Amino acid sequence: MSAGATSAEFRANSRAALADANLQAALRGSRGGFVQKRAKARAALPEFDALRDEATALKNHTLAHLDHYLEAFEAQVVASGGQVHWAETAADARAAVLEICDRVGARTVTKGKSMISEECGINEALTAANITPVETDLGEYIIQLRGETPSHIIAPAVHVTVPEIETAFRAAHAGLDPARDLSRPEAMLKEARAVLREAYFAADVGITGANMLVAETGQTVIVTNEGNGDLTQSLPRVHIVIASIEKVVPTLEDAATLLRVLARSATGQEMSVYTTFSRGPRRAEDLDGPDEFHVILLDNGRSALLGTEFEDMLRCIRCGACMNHCPVYQAVGGHAYGWVYPGPIGAVLTPALTGVEQGGALANASTFCGRCEAVCPVRIPLPRMMRSWREKEFEKRLTPRGMRRGLGLWLWLSRRPKAWRFATRTAARVLHRMGRGSGALKRLPFGADWTATRDFPAPEGRTFMEQWKAMKR
Amino acid sequence: MSGRETILARVRAAARQRTEDDAEREDRVAGRIIRHEPGLVPRQGASSGHGRLTQFLNKLDQASASVGRISSLAELPRVIARELRKRGLPAEVRMGAEPMFRSLDWSVLKASIGPGRPVEPVTLSRAEFGMAETGTLVLCSGLDNPVTLTFLGETHFVVLRRSDIMAGFEDMWAAFRARGLDPRTVNMVTGPSRSADIGQQLQLGAHGPMALHVFLID
Ligand code: SF4
Repeated sequence: MSAGATSAEFRANSRAALADANLQAALRGSRGGFVQKRAKARAALPEFDALRDEATALKNHTLAHLDHYLEAFEAQVVASGGQVHWAETAADARAAVLEICDRVGARTVTKGKSMISEECGINEALTAANITPVETDLGEYIIQLRGETPSHIIAPAVHVTVPEIETAFRAAHAGLDPARDLSRPEAMLKEARAVLREAYFAADVGITGANMLVAETGQTVIVTNEGNGDLTQSLPRVHIVIASIEKVVPTLEDAATLLRVLARSATGQEMSVYTTFSRGPRRAEDLDGPDEFHVILLDNGRSALLGTEFEDMLRCIRCGACMNHCPVYQAVGGHAYGWVYPGPIGAVLTPALTGVEQGGALANASTFCGRCEAVCPVRIPLPRMMRSWREKEFEKRLTPRGMRRGLGLWLWLSRRPKAWRFATRTAARVLHRMGRGSGALKRLPFGADWTATRDFPAPEGRTFMEQWKAMKR
Repeated sequence: MSGRETILARVRAAARQRTEDDAEREDRVAGRIIRHEPGLVPRQGASSGHGRLTQFLNKLDQASASVGRISSLAELPRVIARELRKRGLPAEVRMGAEPMFRSLDWSVLKASIGPGRPVEPVTLSRAEFGMAETGTLVLCSGLDNPVTLTFLGETHFVVLRRSDIMAGFEDMWAAFRARGLDPRTVNMVTGPSRSADIGQQLQLGAHGPMALHVFLID
């Protein structure tokens, strides 16, 4: 389920990411853009926060009755001539995809952006079966050429700089004139468009994800800006949708509620360019569209979260706002998180899906500033859940020794008021004296890493308790 | 147990922590689907009268789509020919078997009928609805409007009747149901295709059209 995952090495990954000049340049280039756009979109819609409440309630309702909604969805897909495959694990999903590809003799498969496909390792499975997967989302295409995984759930190549893309294109499109000018982004886009257009027509099977599944109609819904998902699902003979079980919504009206918060939270658009509702295979008289329509419903650990303290996580609509607003993500990028889902949602989802041994370290990738929860369109209490993972990590003795000792010391002190007062008084006095003059500390004892890039504001010399007492008088 | 039964059993067990009554839950689910009641509709999605048209046109503009207004359907071929000249494009267009187009005199340009091919300079479709809420066109795939024309044309022309402009999602879905439509795909289109995957710079014309132009028939 988590082959190749390096989430457990989050600390080492982060250190490497901070030292990677290219990555830091790419992160600097993207920082702030998403944040401003979302803020603008929110300001333009007075009902935005009320819609977030509606979206939250709608998701909670669906999760409470997920069994019945999934059955209703399945019945509609079957009624429209499609097929539903239930996949308990990532391996089951891979097997379902391979079985379909094998039956139709597929040689190449085009793919729209799908995090679930990443989660299941579909590309690796296809390649091992001698089937060529071609990612068609421009960002996914770029990272596929570079042999990487996505570093952001909606902007997968956000860590790649423009010159790096040029290098990747020159290496991959070897048949083209080596003297061609690729210095401008327009030229690169045109080249990718031409290469991928051939791929769409050549493919035997198209695989897309789904932003939603509509129980009322049996439709799967994809939301894109490029149009790649639509070409992926309209040109090959077979369309496979791979979606996780919590993506189902009751009705078309409910889909509208989610659409109203999704694009605004993700890119600040009121509506993404393409929102497509697909129902069944092509109709008898249609001139285009797939002959077969398959929906793979993936569980992979999600049903086990229902009824637990982590159920809220299943509301996630994968908008990416939490990572766009996360100071830790913005400093280290997505790859440091070591698995498919980065940022705050990754920090809670990874341990849930891969186990606390593998993913528990990610819960420490937070300052608990709370911005992720503040912007989440479905109000997922991400910091609360990270705290729960930290506790579980501590209980399982997975927390690094130094940290455990520090916490132990803190616990010991906090239970002894006298010792606590003495320790804090001493620290406040000493640090105050050290920072005399500037009111700031250039170096902190035991905190040299922290002060390497910024100063620490020096204490005023008196502890909170002392000031409290003085004020009460 | 099959994957299906295992997954459903786990979901059911979690639901039973809340309530024992599966039948009651099933009724609630069926009721919600049958009633499909609208949720909160923002003011932006509830425009009417002339304000609705103005909002629709503004939103199209914000989405980088252009608009031409024509007073009668019969003019469409000549208006399209003129638009093509203006854009420096050849006098050719690819379309589906849309009945609305069939009766028109296409002698002023080369019009062919069929699905999208790898190279399609200009394609023509009819939108079933417009939504003033976001400047969105709603197209239904089928023999009349092959879905590939919406995505393969470098320039995509879309014809829309003014009376088909809805306020937002809710009245659009109501009209959709009332017309008894059941296409393989419902395509909501808001402006021409775009991507910011190369250096976070927004560029139009990623895989789909580089330009989207709407002919609004009054
Ligand atoms: S957790 Fe919330 S903010 Fe983060 S991706 Fe999911 S829905 Fe968006």
